[in-house]
Amino acid sequence: MENSRRHFLKNTCALVAGVSVYPLSGNNAEMEPEINNIKYALLHDESKCIGCNACVEACREVNHVPEGVTRLSIEKTGPFGEYPNQYYHFSRHSCEHCENAPCVTVCPTGAAFIDKETGIVAVNADRCVGCLYCIAACPYEVRFINPVTKTADKCDFCRETNLKEGKQPACVEACPTKALVFGNLKDPESELVARLKANPTERYKQSLGTRPKIFRIKARQGEIIL
Amino acid sequence: MSRNNWLLMLSVGVLSLTLISQAAHCADSTEQINNDSCMKCHKRNGKMQGHHAQDGLNLSCSSCHGEKGNHPKKPNNLMVFSADNEIPLIAQNAVCLTCHRATNLGKSEWTHNVHAQKVNCSSCHQLHPQTDPMMTLTAKQRSIECQRCHSVQR
Repeated sequence: MENSRRHFLKNTCALVAGVSVYPLSGNNAEMEPEINNIKYALLHDESKCIGCNACVEACREVNHVPEGVTRLSIEKTGPFGEYPNQYYHFSRHSCEHCENAPCVTVCPTGAAFIDKETGIVAVNADRCVGCLYCIAACPYEVRFINPVTKTADKCDFCRETNLKEGKQPACVEACPTKALVFGNLKDPESELVARLKANPTERYKQSLGTRPKIFRIKARQGEIIL
Repeated sequence: MSRNNWLLMLSVGVLSLTLISQAAHCADSTEQINNDSCMKCHKRNGKMQGHHAQDGLNLSCSSCHGEKGNHPKKPNNLMVFSADNEIPLIAQNAVCLTCHRATNLGKSEWTHNVHAQKVNCSSCHQLHPQTDPMMTLTAKQRSIECQRCHSVQR
């Protein structure tokens, strides 16, 4: 009798311990999605960008983004230098597709999510209630409420449009100077990885720990020559 | 007294109206430049229209294209605005820059700054038609305009 009670207590303790540890290991696995071996990223070579806004127009057309809002913009700074040898810097302003995305963390309905198969941060418009949490949380200020759908919207690397058709994102296809390179970070043969290895790149606000996936080759002009 | 006032107001109104219409007529009129002696032969080139044609600016063909000189014999000193001739680009653009200041051009449109002394003004702008196509570009047309020169092989 005493023996069986001891057994019961032992087994119960083991079960409780097991059950409490199990979800922890599950959580760890979720942090690093390793399905399909795809992790999409984008490289903006600012030394090649001419600020023509072809990417912005292509994005608007392909993703049916209404006038007045945009998923993508090119920010211009300058002019630098003296006339007639002046130049500008252009940098891309769009979703950074963070691996540790604040917008996903704060979303109360699960509308903002990271697609585990591609690493793309996307919005499920059917779930979005327009509470604006994600817009406040995004440190890159790239989210907006789409005036037509009244839900949060932003760049999704054309996940619902061009990528589904096996094409490159609209901005990448439209760029006349090939300043944008889209590819799979996990494919060592991809042009993206080759370019990342060959050039020093920068990512915005890395110190926040968001682990953004838009890489930038900074324009050489204005840089200190060592 | 009140009738006098009324008459005064009426006459002032009529006078101002005629003045305004005359001023408007002056601004729109392109008679002066289109009666230029050059037009005797160059009728086939069509009329000079648009902003630069208005009488108020007091421009003639030679203001931009230079004095007739040897023309139509060659060689001559006429200025021809085109990327396809041997007249240096800086000399061509200098004609436009006599009136248009580079700093102001850069302020109104940033692309002027980066193309200064690299691209002919006439590569983008047209002054003879009623409207310069650059003034009515949509965002899409504008980026296509850049791609005319800036594009790499895929």
